[in-house]
Amino acid sequence: MSDDAVSPEEVRHVAELARVDLADDEVDQFARQFADILDYFETLDEVPEVDREADLANVMRPDEVRDTLEREEALQNATKTEDGYFKGPNVS
Amino acid sequence: MAPHESSFVTDIEPATEHVAGVGIDGLAPYRRVVTFYPHQPESRVMTAQTVQQGDLVTVIGLEVHVQLETDTKIFCGCSTEQTDEPNEHVCPVCLGLPGALPVLNEGAVEAAVKIGKAIDAEIPEETRFHRKNYYYPDLPKNFQITQYDEPICADGELEVAVEGTRRTITIERAHLEEDPGSLQHVGGGIDTADYTLVNYNRAGTPLMEIVTAPDFRSPSEVRAFLAELEEVLEYLGVFDAERDGSLRIDANLSIIPEDEIESGDIDDIGSSALETANRTEVKNISSHKGAQKALAYEETRQKNAIERGRAVEQETRHWDESRGITVSMRSKEEEKDYRYFEEADLPPLRVADWKDEISIPELPSARRERFQAEYGLDEESASKLTSTKQVADFYETVAAEFDPDLAATWVADNLLGELNYRDMEITDLEGRLNEVTRLVELVATDEITAKNARETVLRSMLDDERTPEEIVDAEGLGKTGEDEVQQAVVEAIDENPDAVSDYESGDDGAINFLVGQVMQKTGGSADPGDVNQLLRAELEA
Repeated sequence: MSDDAVSPEEVRHVAELARVDLADDEVDQFARQFADILDYFETLDEVPEVDREADLANVMRPDEVRDTLEREEALQNATKTEDGYFKGPNVS
Repeated sequence: MAPHESSFVTDIEPATEHVAGVGIDGLAPYRRVVTFYPHQPESRVMTAQTVQQGDLVTVIGLEVHVQLETDTKIFCGCSTEQTDEPNEHVCPVCLGLPGALPVLNEGAVEAAVKIGKAIDAEIPEETRFHRKNYYYPDLPKNFQITQYDEPICADGELEVAVEGTRRTITIERAHLEEDPGSLQHVGGGIDTADYTLVNYNRAGTPLMEIVTAPDFRSPSEVRAFLAELEEVLEYLGVFDAERDGSLRIDANLSIIPEDEIESGDIDDIGSSALETANRTEVKNISSHKGAQKALAYEETRQKNAIERGRAVEQETRHWDESRGITVSMRSKEEEKDYRYFEEADLPPLRVADWKDEISIPELPSARRERFQAEYGLDEESASKLTSTKQVADFYETVAAEFDPDLAATWVADNLLGELNYRDMEITDLEGRLNEVTRLVELVATDEITAKNARETVLRSMLDDERTPEEIVDAEGLGKTGEDEVQQAVVEAIDENPDAVSDYESGDDGAINFLVGQVMQKTGGSADPGDVNQLLRAELEA
């Protein structure tokens, strides 16, 4: 697959969806990397298509309350917290 | 309580735009599937010319999200109970911690099958879950587990009465998914806030998303549908309308010139007319009334634009309840951006046979019809008496013991009327309904007058939480004995010779005067009908 398979606009769009800021040189770098990744996926096209064969079905649990985490445990990996909440930057 | 007065909670999901398109080749391993209302990707300007040729028809479709009443979340065993303490009901699964695996809650699937039965939907042999990817802090995993091309319920319908006519609304699909967490934007609006506080108590609450065909022609039809849907869900016992945020609605609205409808029947609009119309999606609606208001606003806004020859943008708009308007939202994602793909951590679900195994109660519409046939009620009474399962159950208890008409008057008019006046529900009388039955018995056995029962006893029961017997004793409302009434009748006749002679000379009004005299003597506790008869008997003697 040629290098122009992924445009800088597409990279910027994907970055925007992931809420990631990219500098211009990073955009070029990711455009190349995206193209490589797409190449790898092309290889997968050679794998014959098969139907899903799920060994399992209907794996469920009864509607019964189980132990939860203590709040301190739940929050302990967060870089910022406030009054029991996770705290993050403004998002729109 | 929110810790910050200036903060507010929002439930806005990133806007969905179902624009047909293709992902970056090879990066999109999902199948290109459901576009609920297919339309052209490019905006189309309705010209003033087309409008002058005919009337405009409003077309509305709904996506209704309802929280299912289960004890635990859909993919983990955390409680769904509401709490003011943030991040109290959380675990590695609903926090999206690495390595945590979802396990489906049987209760949520049962609730979904019940809904499927109630809306006469198909439960496919096999259904499965997908991941809907988007980056927003209300989703700790950065994807929402939902259903995509194989929803648990498909092709259902619900019949509603709108202004006296019955309409059948097609329900295209209903699927299970998890609720996101809740965000507080602190220190300003969504765009201007200083920072965000995140609470994952709600994350993972089971949701059913119910998607209708674009079958509505007015905001009032939407409201009637939502009321009926809520009634059905409450009858099924899978939904609690009282719970904050338990019902959330997104609506699609477009305006179509009548002459573009090929069939000439506004109930049968062809797909091409729907496709070419520009549609707005209105988000953030949280009640029946809100839906009617938001859509009435949006309908007027679009019609005004068209009548002035302006284009209606294809866009997502946010209903601002406090200002009573819809405002444009920037939409970031298109459907392809969600990169739906199969949730490999959840095996497929084969529950088509549950439809036979799980029973559901008689639904409001069937019960309404039965009440009319079985108890000889008119449509209005039958409708009032089936408004909730509790009311209907109580009516049947009373009607089993007493005259069904008397029971209907007492439950539909007196009880519901007084409850409504106090902003109460029948559920507020839990454990005291036998007192209401006792009150009906006092009336049925003529121990107190209907007027006293209604105006004094019932009101005091609700206001002072006293039993009917206590009130009857305290207020001296026991019906006056027959002898006493008879004595009062004789007295009234003796004391009012003028009225008697008026009666004898054929003035029928005189009897009413005499009835009034007797009522006064007995302190209003005699039955006016009985008094009338006794007087006539005495005067004719």
